[in-house]
Amino acid sequence: MSQSPAYYRLIAEVKIRRESFGGILYKYGCADRGSLSFINSPQLIELLIAGQQRHNGDVSAAIESSRYSEISKQKLYSALDDLVKRGYIQVQR
Amino acid sequence: MAELVHFMERPARSPGQKAGALHPLAKAAMQQTGEMVPQKKGHGSQRFLQGGLSAPITVTWEITAACNIACIHCLSSSGRRRPRELKREQALALVDELADMQVFQIHFGGGEPFIYPGIWQVLERCTLRGLVMCISTNGTLITAERARRLKQFDPLYFQVSLDGGAPQTNDSIRGKGVFERALRGLELLAAENHSLTVNSVLTRYSFYELDRLYEIATSFNARLRVTRLRPSGRGQDVWEDLHPTREQYREFTTWLMAHPDVLTADSFFHLNAFGTRLAGLDMCGAATATCCVCPEGEVYPCAFFQAPEFEAGNLHMQSFREIWQSSTVFDYYRKMGAGACSGCGQYDVCHGGCPATKWFVHQKLNIKDPECVL
Repeated sequence: MSQSPAYYRLIAEVKIRRESFGGILYKYGCADRGSLSFINSPQLIELLIAGQQRHNGDVSAAIESSRYSEISKQKLYSALDDLVKRGYIQVQR
Repeated sequence: MAELVHFMERPARSPGQKAGALHPLAKAAMQQTGEMVPQKKGHGSQRFLQGGLSAPITVTWEITAACNIACIHCLSSSGRRRPRELKREQALALVDELADMQVFQIHFGGGEPFIYPGIWQVLERCTLRGLVMCISTNGTLITAERARRLKQFDPLYFQVSLDGGAPQTNDSIRGKGVFERALRGLELLAAENHSLTVNSVLTRYSFYELDRLYEIATSFNARLRVTRLRPSGRGQDVWEDLHPTREQYREFTTWLMAHPDVLTADSFFHLNAFGTRLAGLDMCGAATATCCVCPEGEVYPCAFFQAPEFEAGNLHMQSFREIWQSSTVFDYYRKMGAGACSGCGQYDVCHGGCPATKWFVHQKLNIKDPECVL
């Protein structure tokens, strides 16, 4: 788990859509061209949408501006690290 | 973006009224598959797709039936333009509706999309609305000027069809001289640095040319995409002769594992039953993650399932959203059970294969995939 001060930013091309199980992340072109991921965490999806819509893609700012418990924050940062590996988020330290 | 477009034949519909009548043959076939198998928690694509997504991930849009060539396996029996094809304004309204529903990608096919009179305006609207565009083309109508003009649309990528790595193999399916013309189209698109895929339907003859197809794709800085032959459209007439043998499929699976950069459009999940899990979805995404809009506004579960009995609705009569959300055909389709595959140890990795193939070969859905490898 990489706790702050890492700075997580959604890649501009990423699209997010809510679904009953959580949501879908999509980056240019589905299975053929790019990435598509089913995310079964509504909390994570809402965080990403908040980061995209209210913080210009800055997901770290979305976390810090919300009232998450420290445990929730740690879980969210861990999930973001996974999304970094999958190419949806860039991290700057 | 709101635009008032007249679909003159659309009747008023009361709230809650279902879109699209259900043909008795389709109803019986879907019911005979039994109850949907509950998916084990935490395993496979079905746990996400069960019941259908809020909107498709990709919509295949056969924007015209007009085509300048006549492939013997054409899934939509294309050739001539059809009388009730969507007009440009209707097509633009559909783009807006798909964007409003947060569909991610439109895959334009046909027919040959470049024959559709409004194609440029449709691509422009997709760009404006942020929809990813893929154009499946035979490549023969690409000119240097068109390849340049297409650079204004983004994100856009092309699938140029080649059904063999040698002229005689390709042209026996796609027509005399088409191999060379398609290569020229690829060359012109590559010269403008377009994002390219060489799309090839796997047949028992092209199977021997997979390496050559891979070389051709690479030479244009393109990726190779191999897809499964389906017995739909004119494909019904040639399926017996062209579909690969079981042993070819086994070798193909090994070949795919050695070429992880080759795309498959998730079309070979039935081969997972060999015991090697291929990349991508492990089940059919028809009516749950994708669907097909046909030239005259018909909506089907997928491009390969253009059977009148399974028409989910028509855009001349209903909105796309209405069809996706409340079509009786889609409702039944999303609840189909395992049928004859119930109890099979491999069901979790292939989910019974391709329903369209079952239907067009045997007019049943409660059977094994005709190409089941077990």
